[in-house]
Amino acid sequence: MEQLIGELKEHLIEELNLEEITPEDIDSEAPLFRDGLGLDSIDALEIILILEKYYGIKLSNSAEAKPIFYSVKTLAEYIMKNRK
Amino acid sequence: MKCYIDSVVVDSRIPADDIRELIPDALLRRRMSRLLRTAVATAVSCVGGVENIASLDAIITATGWGCLTDSERFLRNMISEDEQLLNPTPFIQSTFNTVGGIIALMGKNHCYNMTYVNRSHSFEDALLDSMIRVADGSSRNLLVGAFDEQTQSQYRIMERMGVFRSQSPGEGSVFVSILSEKSQSSLAQLVRLDFPGNSLNETEVLERYASSSASLLLFNSYRDKGLFPTASAHSFARAVELIRCGESEVVVYNEYLGATPAVSVVQCVG
Amino acid sequence: MGVVVTGVGIVSALGVGVQSNIVSMREGRSGISAHPSILKTGNILPVGELRMTNDELHRLADIPVHKHLSRTALLGIIAAREALADAKAEPSKRIGLVSSTSVGGMDLTEGFFREFMKDDSAGRLRDVRMHDCGAITSAMAHYCGINAYTTTISTACSSAANAVMFGAKLIEHDVVDYVVAGGSDALSAFTLNGFKSLMILDRQACRPFDRSRAGLNLGEGAGYLVLQGDKNSAPNYYCRLAGYANRNDAHHQTATSAEGEGAFLAMAEALKLANLSPREVSYINAHGTGTQNNDSAESAAFIRLFGENIPAFSSTKGFTGHTLAAAGGIEAAYSVLSVAKGFLYPNLNFSHPIEEFGLIPNSEFSEGNNIDCVLSNSFGFGGNCSSLVFVR
Repeated sequence: MEQLIGELKEHLIEELNLEEITPEDIDSEAPLFRDGLGLDSIDALEIILILEKYYGIKLSNSAEAKPIFYSVKTLAEYIMKNRK
Repeated sequence: MKCYIDSVVVDSRIPADDIRELIPDALLRRRMSRLLRTAVATAVSCVGGVENIASLDAIITATGWGCLTDSERFLRNMISEDEQLLNPTPFIQSTFNTVGGIIALMGKNHCYNMTYVNRSHSFEDALLDSMIRVADGSSRNLLVGAFDEQTQSQYRIMERMGVFRSQSPGEGSVFVSILSEKSQSSLAQLVRLDFPGNSLNETEVLERYASSSASLLLFNSYRDKGLFPTASAHSFARAVELIRCGESEVVVYNEYLGATPAVSVVQCVG
Repeated sequence: MGVVVTGVGIVSALGVGVQSNIVSMREGRSGISAHPSILKTGNILPVGELRMTNDELHRLADIPVHKHLSRTALLGIIAAREALADAKAEPSKRIGLVSSTSVGGMDLTEGFFREFMKDDSAGRLRDVRMHDCGAITSAMAHYCGINAYTTTISTACSSAANAVMFGAKLIEHDVVDYVVAGGSDALSAFTLNGFKSLMILDRQACRPFDRSRAGLNLGEGAGYLVLQGDKNSAPNYYCRLAGYANRNDAHHQTATSAEGEGAFLAMAEALKLANLSPREVSYINAHGTGTQNNDSAESAAFIRLFGENIPAFSSTKGFTGHTLAAAGGIEAAYSVLSVAKGFLYPNLNFSHPIEEFGLIPNSEFSEGNNIDCVLSNSFGFGGNCSSLVFVR
């Protein structure tokens, strides 16, 4: 789990161009969107791509993704359960 | 129809380190290509800071080629990934009005927002729109800008077309702040814009557009910046600079690669 | 000087020409097909495609196939010529063109790039000659007898509405005697995949303003109006262009604010310019793309502006698909005909209103209605929101 969280943070920084942020800056339990990391709906689409590209998980729309995308931790938990 | 030029900023005057200050929102900045960063930073610098965007009542941008880097990135991904798992960001930012949209977003400004994409006349078309808006009272405080970028592929394509045999490549951004009324900071006034249907020589241009023998002519000086559709905006910037340095009138004549010419006449503020 | 509309021209998935578009809508026949048949793509997604190849379009326009024009230019030429012929424009007068496009010559560039990516000496240069938006306008001007000021606008999905707006300014300021204004966009793999990457394409036919709406269908086409000053035009014009406005939502790069701020401001300002109150609007041709976000925001803006007296409204995108830069032109032409002939257009595939708003679009085609004022909405990426007001 810890390893997956670290890996996910790297993917997020890379794919979302979070250029001034290091993995240590991201609190695994803090919200990714709005007040937390401040991500937006375009980032949600990018995270859907990360899930599919690296973990073979397909989400068809961003509405279904909302609770899953709450934080890095919720994302990691979902990946653990569903990865192929 | 005339309007007043209060500020002109050319991208080359903006050091890379200043871009962070000019575009302080890191979340917005992180997705921006080099062109977007440069153009938006030039715009912010022209209005004197993000806080001044809100007072604009028209944001008018011009580009001949648009956001080539992002367009090309999406196109390449689409072909190499066989239309699967495509990253949406370059598609979003390939849109021609991206720069105008980002400026509005940064200043939460709901005003008139327009983008001209008309080859070598794009910038002059944006100026014409400004002059019309000032003339009919639709706008009083306008930001007009032009930007184009070069990419490797586009360089290669133009090279194959033989364009660079006689000219060199180029790119750049220019933003101009235009006011309807004369102010303490007015640098120059734009008094005339014209789009003659055919090519003119230097004597003909002066005969037709110069108001006195003191008038200075910038004849196709856009070439100094290299070849890109909005290079004429840089000639316009130079004209304003010449007025600031004491010239009374500058006529800018641009005839780009076989297109019909565009002429603008800039005068000192009387 | 007031601005009047004296000509209209349309090409869409419903067919070539104003007549075939109206006939299809009268018969409730959509132009959306289950997948593209002309466009080269691996995507099986519904689109509003004009079922004619580029060669067939060259022949239809009586332009030699070896001229190798981009599809966007061909669609534009055919629609603009129809509008000019309709207006009986006099060639001795100043005829200008304000065109718009979002893809330009991308349909040809895509083919070029496949070769160019393998080897940068490969790919036919004539396939990229018309890549930029201005090239489309330039070809249109050449083949449509344009003899005065010409420009090109690109503000995403609001492009053609902005072209009509700037066209009106050129008439008001006596820059030209006639202006052909509107937009053209061909389907391209670039835009189809772009909207797919945004996850806003419906895998079924789009359902604007319906509770179950799940995205838009992309379309292609061109729509142009001929505008003239009322002092110079023949008295039998279609209608007046009484108001227009361009406002920015300034909320997000692609999404619209929940309260539809930009849409509200654009509609309100266009009506104010026309000296009309919201209650005088007879019909709204909505932007209504069928995405969750647009239709909610547009509904919210309707309620803010019109309160409980929402005029008849519909989205015609269930017929044509979302034709991007052309949408504002095609829908402006539909709006002009609505005022001139009393047409009300149906909103296809609607069954249940969005719970939060409860708005029910017009569902039947009807004619002979007393239509005094029509609002045409076009909103797009970059927060661009534009509205046009046509009156009798």
